Amino acid sequence: MWIAIFCLSGLGLLASLGLGLAAKRFAVEVDPKIEAVEGVLPGINCGACGYPGCSHFARALVKEGAPVGGCIAGGEDTALALSELMGVKAVIGEKRVAVVLCKGGREESTTKFTYRGVEDCKAAIIVSGGDKACPYGCLGLRTCERVCPFDAVVISEGGIAIIDPEKCTGCGICIKECPKEIIRLVPVGKRVSILCYSNEKGSEVRKKCAVGCIACETCVRVCPFDAISMEGNLAVLDHERCQVCGLCIPRCPTRAIEGRDEPFPQVEIIEERCTGCGICTMVCPVDAIEGEKEEVHTVSEERCVGCLLCIDRCPEEAIRIRGPAHSALESVVR
Amino acid sequence: MKVRYLFGGGIHPSEQKISQDAPIEEMEVPERVVVPLSQHIGAPCEATVSPGDRVKKGDRVGQATGFVSVNVHAPISGVVKSIGLFPHPLGRPLPAVEIESDGEDTWTDRLKPHEDYMDLSPEELKEIIRDMGIVGMGGAAFPTHVKLSPPKEKTIDTFIINGAECEPYLTADHRLMLEEAESIIAGARIAMRSLGVDRGIIAIESNKPDAIEKMRGLTEDIPELEVVALRVRYPQGAEKQLIKTLLNREVPFSGGLPMDVGVIVQNVGTLSAIYKAIRFGLPLIERITTVTGSGVHTPKNLRARIGTPIEVLIEACGGFSTEVGKVIIGGPMMGVSQYSLEVPVVKGTSGILVQPLSEVEEGVDHPCIRCGSCIRACPALLMPTILAVFAQRDMFKEAERYDVVDCIECGCCDYVCPARIPLVQLLRYAKAEVLARRKKAA
Amino acid sequence: MTRLLLLIIGAVLVNNFVLTRFLGICPFLGVSRRTETALGMGMAVIFVMTVASVVTWIIQRAVLTPFGVEYLQTVTFILVIASLVQLVEMVIQKTSPVLYRALGIYLPLITTNCAVLGVAVLNVQKGFTFVETAIFGFGASLGFTLALVLFSGLRERIDLADVPRVFQGTAIALITAGLLSLAFMGFTGLVK
Repeated sequence: MWIAIFCLSGLGLLASLGLGLAAKRFAVEVDPKIEAVEGVLPGINCGACGYPGCSHFARALVKEGAPVGGCIAGGEDTALALSELMGVKAVIGEKRVAVVLCKGGREESTTKFTYRGVEDCKAAIIVSGGDKACPYGCLGLRTCERVCPFDAVVISEGGIAIIDPEKCTGCGICIKECPKEIIRLVPVGKRVSILCYSNEKGSEVRKKCAVGCIACETCVRVCPFDAISMEGNLAVLDHERCQVCGLCIPRCPTRAIEGRDEPFPQVEIIEERCTGCGICTMVCPVDAIEGEKEEVHTVSEERCVGCLLCIDRCPEEAIRIRGPAHSALESVVR
Repeated sequence: MKVRYLFGGGIHPSEQKISQDAPIEEMEVPERVVVPLSQHIGAPCEATVSPGDRVKKGDRVGQATGFVSVNVHAPISGVVKSIGLFPHPLGRPLPAVEIESDGEDTWTDRLKPHEDYMDLSPEELKEIIRDMGIVGMGGAAFPTHVKLSPPKEKTIDTFIINGAECEPYLTADHRLMLEEAESIIAGARIAMRSLGVDRGIIAIESNKPDAIEKMRGLTEDIPELEVVALRVRYPQGAEKQLIKTLLNREVPFSGGLPMDVGVIVQNVGTLSAIYKAIRFGLPLIERITTVTGSGVHTPKNLRARIGTPIEVLIEACGGFSTEVGKVIIGGPMMGVSQYSLEVPVVKGTSGILVQPLSEVEEGVDHPCIRCGSCIRACPALLMPTILAVFAQRDMFKEAERYDVVDCIECGCCDYVCPARIPLVQLLRYAKAEVLARRKKAA
Repeated sequence: MTRLLLLIIGAVLVNNFVLTRFLGICPFLGVSRRTETALGMGMAVIFVMTVASVVTWIIQRAVLTPFGVEYLQTVTFILVIASLVQLVEMVIQKTSPVLYRALGIYLPLITTNCAVLGVAVLNVQKGFTFVETAIFGFGASLGFTLALVLFSGLRERIDLADVPRVFQGTAIALITAGLLSLAFMGFTGLVK
C-alpha cells in the first residue's frame, strides 16, 4: 500500500513540477473582464456597434474605452448591464427602429411582368429591376426577412415588408441588405413616416400605385411644425421636428403616411388655471377652442385633433391631455 | 479541315431554325424611331442634336465618350422629336433620341466612301470603323475598333470569322452568309489588314451546309481564308469555345481574353457592316433581325433600322399568332425577356423570339438532387451546383474562389437542370456581386 | 520493418480507432464542423497520443510492474494524459489563440478521450516493445486525424446541402459517420 501511495505521489509531483515550468514558459495574459463583457452581449455579431463581432466590441470596451451604450442591438438592458460591469454611467440614446418606406402591396400597385425567378430581392433586381412597376417599391421577396437576426420583419399578405417595432433593435442589417435602399431608422417614439420613396411625378405614381406620394404638398402645408418638406417629387419628413401630432395622416389623399396607432388624444382646459388670454385660440389650427377674452376657454371635442400645439403655447400650463396618458406625446411636448 | 477538338460541356437543344429559308426582307421605313445612346459595352454616347433639329439618314446623333465608346447615327431622315428616357432592351429606361420620319428617307451628304480602301492604313481603317459606330453584332455589342486594337504585347496570328450562330431559332447570320457573302469576306480582309494578320478561319456550324458551300466557293482563290465546318453544339459560337475547337487553345481563366492566345474573333454581321462602312462610308443604322417563334404568324429575317420598336417588326411578321407568353430579344438561351413592346431594335438585336403562353413553363423549382448534369453541361468548366449554393447563402468569397467570374451566362446549366433551379439568375447575381466587390477593393 | 509498417496500416486503416473501434467519438462529432479546426484537433491528438503511449509504456515497465502496483494503471495513465493535455492547451493558447477558441471545450476533453486511454492500455495488453508502442500510438492518432479530417470535409459539404428538417444537425452527422464507418470496413482483411 505504501508503495502505491509513494508511486502515485511521486508521479504526481513530477507532473506538477513539469507543468509548473511549462506554465511559466507559455504564460498568456487573459483579461477576465473581456470574457465577462462577452457574456453580457447578445452574441449575434450583427456589427451594428461598428466592430466586426461581439468579441471585438468586448475587447474595445475593456481596452479602448468604447462607450457602454455601443451595443445597439442589445439596447437599454445591455447598456445598463455593461455599465454595471465597467463601473461607468450609461448614456442611453433614444432607441431607433427600422421602417420600410413603401406600402404598395399587390392590391395597391401594378407590376410590369410576372416574375418567376429566385425568391430574393437582390436577385430579382437583376431582372429589369424587379417586377414592380414603381422602381422604388418594395419587392417583398423576403431578403430583409431572412437577414433579420431578431425575426422583426414579416412580409404582409400583399407582399410588402413590415417591421415590428417591438422586436426591432435598430441593428441596421436589413437597411444594408435592401437592394432598393428604402428602409430607414426612425426614433421609436416618433414613428410617423411617409411610406413612399418615389421621386416620379404624381401622374406617373398614380399609374403605378394607389398609395404612393403624388407630391400634392398637402402634408407640407398642414404640418404645424414645418416638419415636412419636398425633395423633388417626394415629401420628406424631418423626425427631429415632427411632434407626432398625426395631423398629416388623415389629410394625405393617397394615405401614404402612417405611424400613429393610438387614437388621437384630445385636450381639455384646466378651468382653475385658464386666464382667458386667448393664445390657444390663435394657435389652434382647426379652430377647436372657443372663449371670450378674460373668460375660461373650452375645447370642442368634435374638432380637436390632438395636435397639442395649444399645450405647448399656453403660458399658464392650463391645458392637459384628456383621458389616459400618452407618455410619448407628453414627454415630447413638454 | 477535319475538326478534331471540341470544347468541354455544352448541350444540343432543338435547333428550331424555322426561319432559315426566309430570305432577308426589307422593312418599310418606320414612322418613328427611338435611338438609344447606349447600345454598346462601354461609356454611353452624348447626344449631339436637340429637339427640333432636322436630321438626314446617317447623320451622327450621339457622340462617343472615351475610347471604349462609338457614335450612334440617325437611321431615318426626319426631325428630332425629343431626347429623354425611353424603354431599352436591358430592362430599364435609358437616354435615347426620338426621331420622327419625314417620309423621305434621304441619306446625309456627309458620307465618305473609299474606292481604294485597301490603300488605307490600319489606323485610318480603325478610325472609320469607330466613327461609323460599328460594334459586335453577335449580341455583345463590344466596340469593334477596340477589339481590333489589341495592346502591342499581344501578337495576333489568327482571325476567326464567327458564322456559327449556335443559338436555336436565330438565322440572321445564316441568311447574311447566303445573300451577302461577298461583303463578309471583304470585311474580313479589311479587319485582317488592320490587325496585320494573314490567317483567317471562317467557322460555320454544319447545320448550314448551303452557307458553308457558298463561303467555300468564294474563298477558293483566297489562300489566307479557310472555311471550317463545326459540329453543332451550343455554345459553339461563344469566343472561348470557338478558339478551343478550332485551335485547341484555352483562353486563360479569370478574365482572360482571346487576344491572350493570339486570336481575334468577329461576327459575320460585324464584318459586313465594316465593309459597308469603309467602302461606302455607311454608318451602322440597320441590321438583320430574325423574328421567330411559334408565337408569330410568319417567322422572317428582317432588315430593320436601328431604333424601330419591336412591335413594328412583329407586325411585319403578321403579328401574334396566339396568346403570348414571352417576348425575348436574342435567342432562347441568352436572350432577355421584355415587358414592353415599345423597346427598340439596337445594334446587338440579333433576334426577337415570341413564345406562346403554352411553351412557357411554370417557375416551380425543387431542391438540388446533385445529379451533376450542370457540371457536365458547363462549357466554362465550372460547377454551377456549388456556385448556386454559394449565391443563395451570399458566400461571395467562396464563389470567387470557384471562379464564378468566368461564367459566360450561356444557360446550359439552367437548360439541363432536372430540378428547374434558376441557375443563371443565381450565378449572375453572385458574379455581379463579386465583380462589384473587386471594384470596390481596387 | 515490415512489422512496423503493417502496424501503422493496421492502426490507420484496418482498425481505425474512430471508425472501426468506435473510440473517441466525442471530438469526432464535436470538432468536425470545419476542416481547419479538425486538422488542429488532429495535431493536438497526435502529440498527446504518441507521447502518452511512450510515457505510459515507460511507467508501466519502470514503475508499475517492478513495484507490483499494476492496479494503479488506470489512475497513473490518466494522470499522464491529463498533464500532457494541459501542456498542449498551454502551447496552443500561446501560439494560436484562434485555434484555442475554435477548439473550445474539446481541447481539455482529450483527457477523457477513450481513444487516448485506449491506445495506452492496448499497448500494454499487446505486450509491444518500445518502438512498437511509439509506432502504434502514432499510427492510432494518425488514423484518428484521418477520420476527423475526412468527416469534416463531408460535414462542410452537408452544410451546403438542403437537408430535410428531420435530419438536420446531429442526425445527418451520425448517419454519415455510420456510412463512413461502413466504407472503412472495406479494409478488413488487408492486414492479418
